[in-house]
Amino acid sequence: MFKDLDPILHSQLRLAVVSILISVKEAEFTFLREKTNSTAGNLSVQIQKLKDAGYIDIVKQFKNNYPQTICRITQLGTIAFEEYVISLQDYLGNGNGHENGVA
Amino acid sequence: MNDENFSPKDSLLLIQSMIDKTRQVMSDNGIYYLVWGWVTFIACTGQFILKHIYEYPKHYYVWWLVVPAFIFSIVYGAREGKKQKVKTYVGDSIKFLWIGMGIAYFVLSMILSELGWDRPIFPFFIMLYGLGTFVSGSIIKFRPLVLGSLCAFILAVASTYASYDYQMLYGAVAILVSYIIPAYILRARQKHV
Repeated sequence: MFKDLDPILHSQLRLAVVSILISVKEAEFTFLREKTNSTAGNLSVQIQKLKDAGYIDIVKQFKNNYPQTICRITQLGTIAFEEYVISLQDYLGNGNGHENGVA
Repeated sequence: MNDENFSPKDSLLLIQSMIDKTRQVMSDNGIYYLVWGWVTFIACTGQFILKHIYEYPKHYYVWWLVVPAFIFSIVYGAREGKKQKVKTYVGDSIKFLWIGMGIAYFVLSMILSELGWDRPIFPFFIMLYGLGTFVSGSIIKFRPLVLGSLCAFILAVASTYASYDYQMLYGAVAILVSYIIPAYILRARQKHV
């Protein structure tokens, strides 16, 4: 029996954001947008969902008179990411693959 | 990005590609190693020339060269900090390591000024060069820096057998192998990334 993949993380853009945040201390919204190649609108919606799930913290502040949004992963987010990776390994390690989508 | 047909395999590839993109940001451009490497190299060799060849009594004045390097580091660091869109644990660790190293050099200079500039203290400076580059090289997994640091540790021990004047040249060689050469290799590799 496979573990269900976390629906919050099993989404391309949200997973991309969490994958970046897992390896850094904090990242600006613009950095996430560049690296994920997404639109500002879509990214805003997805990071809000991650925040609502308690996976990331969002800090809004001003830097040189410009608004700045900083994101960082929470402990809950780190645990969820680790569990997600273990679930992925279960799927792939057992040769099942579920190639056509799981969410 | 489309969530349809997003398989576990795609997930792993996505995670890998995002981590790779972030790793590129973490890489160091080596500018501090180059600036500090050349400044301290010139100071060591300059002090040797002034003391040993010209017998100038205030040969240690050459170390005032570190002041412009210090100003450059503060200005450049502040400017880069403003542009920085991401903070990494690796970046912070290296930054605080070198701030600590800078303080250690300063403290050692203070001790030296009290004990007398003719004390054979270069082995301790060389050991500190080795320590800083060993930790930095190990954190960023850059072998030339680690190898350079090991050479610096060996030179620190070897320099204790040399006279005070020649210890300066040991210092210059340590800087060349642990700062300058790894910095050029780092820059050359980045041009190919």
